[in-house]
Amino acid sequence: MSLSKRLFQLMLLAYPREFRLEYGSDMTQLFRDCYRDIQRASLISAIAFWRRMIWDVIRTAPLERWEALGRRYKIMKSLKSDLIGLLACIAILIVMFLLLGYLRKHQVALMLGYSLDAIITAGIVSNLIIFPLTIATRLSAFRTVWWTLLLVNGALLLIATLIGNRVDPGFSFPAVAASYLVSFVFWLTFHWLRSQMRPQVS
Amino acid sequence: MAKEKPNPEKLLPLTSSVFHILLALSDGDLHGYGIMQEVAEHTGGQIRLGPGTLYGAIKRLLGNGLIVETDQRPDPEMDDERRRYYRLTDFGQQVLKAEVQRISKLVSVAQRKRLLPKRT
Repeated sequence: MSLSKRLFQLMLLAYPREFRLEYGSDMTQLFRDCYRDIQRASLISAIAFWRRMIWDVIRTAPLERWEALGRRYKIMKSLKSDLIGLLACIAILIVMFLLLGYLRKHQVALMLGYSLDAIITAGIVSNLIIFPLTIATRLSAFRTVWWTLLLVNGALLLIATLIGNRVDPGFSFPAVAASYLVSFVFWLTFHWLRSQMRPQVS
Repeated sequence: MAKEKPNPEKLLPLTSSVFHILLALSDGDLHGYGIMQEVAEHTGGQIRLGPGTLYGAIKRLLGNGLIVETDQRPDPEMDDERRRYYRLTDFGQQVLKAEVQRISKLVSVAQRKRLLPKRT
């Protein structure tokens, strides 16, 4: 029995690791039960039993391997998509930063300047929260993005209002509020587009 | 938002091994060996599920919510604690019924074509 069991456990190596971890001991137990049933049977029955066990592994192990490979491929694809999203986010921030520098130098379009300020500041803070959360956890991506953007933009608007009133005589609350609304919509659209390209891992 | 109710028809036709496992569990909770014995019994020994076939199917059935693992033991006296017992869910029952109806329709067609004697 011990040798047969060891032989069967060796055969189990044909299955992917996660499948073996989940069902390996149950399969060995089932093998032992079946083996006990045929122990007093003839040599022909024993040969038929082993043939059945070997055929079962040959038939089912590739299927399990294929499924495990598919899952891994989806995870890799998802990570690749997240990396592209992160790079796109950094690229957007750099472009916005350069544009803001240009606008400040030439002192044009105050409202656009406010909006770029909001997009850059809220973008850096909220994306530092969104990317780690959506990649590393199983939280709903949409809810994470929605609430993070709402809270970050809201908090920054509050800070800007409290400080701006004191340090900038030309501070305009409607303009700053509108710029954070633009920032909220901008980053929400960005993450919505990203979610459309992200493969779903089941 | 309410979760969309799964449609049993979408999982049809069932594979032979899945159908026999669900049929075996329709009488009550069973462990792997119990399922295997029940299947061999109701197929007159024609179908003997190997460990890979059985647990591969169980993995997929658990994933689709057709069965669940249960802590309750049908007979604690006879029980081996290491064994895992499985139970048919309501959804599993619906899928099994839908498959039986599908097969029944096929049998009716076969009877009309005189490939099978009519049931009395």
